[in-house]
Amino acid sequence: MNEITPNKAPSLKVVLPFYGTGALFFLVVSVLLLLGAGDLTGHYFSPHLLAVVHAAALGWGTMIIFGAAYELLPVVCARSLYSERLALASYALLTAGAAHLIPAFWYFRAGTLMIAGGSFVFLAACCYALNVFFTVADGRHSIHQYFLVSSACWLLTTVTLGVALAVNLRYPFMTRSHLDIMKLHAHVGLAGWFLQLVTGVSIKLIPMFLLSKPAETKWLYAALAFQNLGLLLLLAGDYLYPASSADGVYAAICAAGIGCWLWYLNGVRKNRMRRRPDILMKHTFVSCLFLIAALITLPLARYGTETKWVLVYGVFLFLGWLTSLILGQTFKTLPFIVWNERYKNLTGTTAVPLPRQLYAAKVVVYQYYSYLAAMFLLVAGMLAGSRFIITIALILWVGVAVLYVFNVAKVLFHQTIISPHEATR
Amino acid sequence: MKQPVNAQADPGVEQALKVLKQVMDPELFVNIIDLGLVYGIDFSEPGKITVTMTLSTPHCPLGEAIKNGVCNVLSAAFPNRVAEVTIVWEPAWSVEMLTEEGRRQLNFS
Repeated sequence: MNEITPNKAPSLKVVLPFYGTGALFFLVVSVLLLLGAGDLTGHYFSPHLLAVVHAAALGWGTMIIFGAAYELLPVVCARSLYSERLALASYALLTAGAAHLIPAFWYFRAGTLMIAGGSFVFLAACCYALNVFFTVADGRHSIHQYFLVSSACWLLTTVTLGVALAVNLRYPFMTRSHLDIMKLHAHVGLAGWFLQLVTGVSIKLIPMFLLSKPAETKWLYAALAFQNLGLLLLLAGDYLYPASSADGVYAAICAAGIGCWLWYLNGVRKNRMRRRPDILMKHTFVSCLFLIAALITLPLARYGTETKWVLVYGVFLFLGWLTSLILGQTFKTLPFIVWNERYKNLTGTTAVPLPRQLYAAKVVVYQYYSYLAAMFLLVAGMLAGSRFIITIALILWVGVAVLYVFNVAKVLFHQTIISPHEATR
Repeated sequence: MKQPVNAQADPGVEQALKVLKQVMDPELFVNIIDLGLVYGIDFSEPGKITVTMTLSTPHCPLGEAIKNGVCNVLSAAFPNRVAEVTIVWEPAWSVEMLTEEGRRQLNFS
């Protein structure tokens, strides 16, 4: 018999700032997209788009993922988070880094502002990675933990390349093309940091949310091997044979890793006991579809001559896959975190609200359908080269962000509700 | 190490089962008895009730809320006894442990 105390969650002050700040950065991303709408029909190496991508990747995606990871690490590792101080330091540094990098790219100020921003993000990644390594360190290791560790290693690689690129813009030292290294930086971030973190967390949470019997884990080990092999080959191949077009093969190996992961999730979906997924899980399923759409678009982005495919590929990944996932999973995690703190000592003594009653369910429905419409219009507008459709889509995007921020704020500022006569029971 | 909860053996157990149905899993919103989370209720020690139970997910962050709920309802129903909860992971919870009522509430096929 293994008796253990169930509560190992970090305190609210560690996790909530990430959710709140991430939501605000999502609004910033949406407004910047609207202001830079014209850039979505041009080349991807544009100051405005670089600002948007860094706001989305750091302020939005990484911010929320850091917060969720600090909450979930104790669940995945069955032990307390190594250091709450390191977690808080990573929050301050990541916020400072994103706040420096966004204006630095928007106004293209290569130099102190950009290098300082990159350095803050690098330090934030170090704090996060140390917390992951020391939390995972002891005991029996699971496949989830391997993904968390590998994603943290890729995060460190991504930010190291990022800082080097920021320095190179002001003090050129790279013998290779800046754009080539930038592509590596982007793909290590996407397929190393985001993909492997999302894989590791999803294979723990999705069976839990769907009440599913475990599917075969051999697919997960294959996913881990293929995703990492593809990325390592991409880095090594690009260094040794820079002019080679073999990166398509490396991408295919990574895609095989994604396929194994999605196959595992499909097994989980088939074995689920909860037959009717809620709208938050639909957000997650949609995000998987956008990831598949990005993989289909990749050959066009890599070998095609039109730059619009590169932009569509990026939109599928950042605004499709990552954003849809976060928009849904925020309300699968945040209300429970807040509810747990407010009501864990009151259960059984009085009538308490449910975690899902901490946010406005109707607003989530509006958010979901507005999001789908915004994505459809945005991709259609980009493919058609229509500035008008893109602008309509981006106005909708701002609407989606406002709905999301409203609901996140509703949860964050929730006050304990106890009916007076019940409380005295 | 599952200890079946036998309500007929002890009227105290029957009352405990009744009040434990007030403790809900916050995510699934099904009570812990119909979820099959409670493995045993022991009244044998004077002045004490020991509940042996599990959680649907090991190290579930909501586990403390559920554990507190169990202590709170038992303390109210049995003011002369101290309620204690022992969380175990063996046998691990699975959907097969749901009661018929639990399956119905979760719309299982």
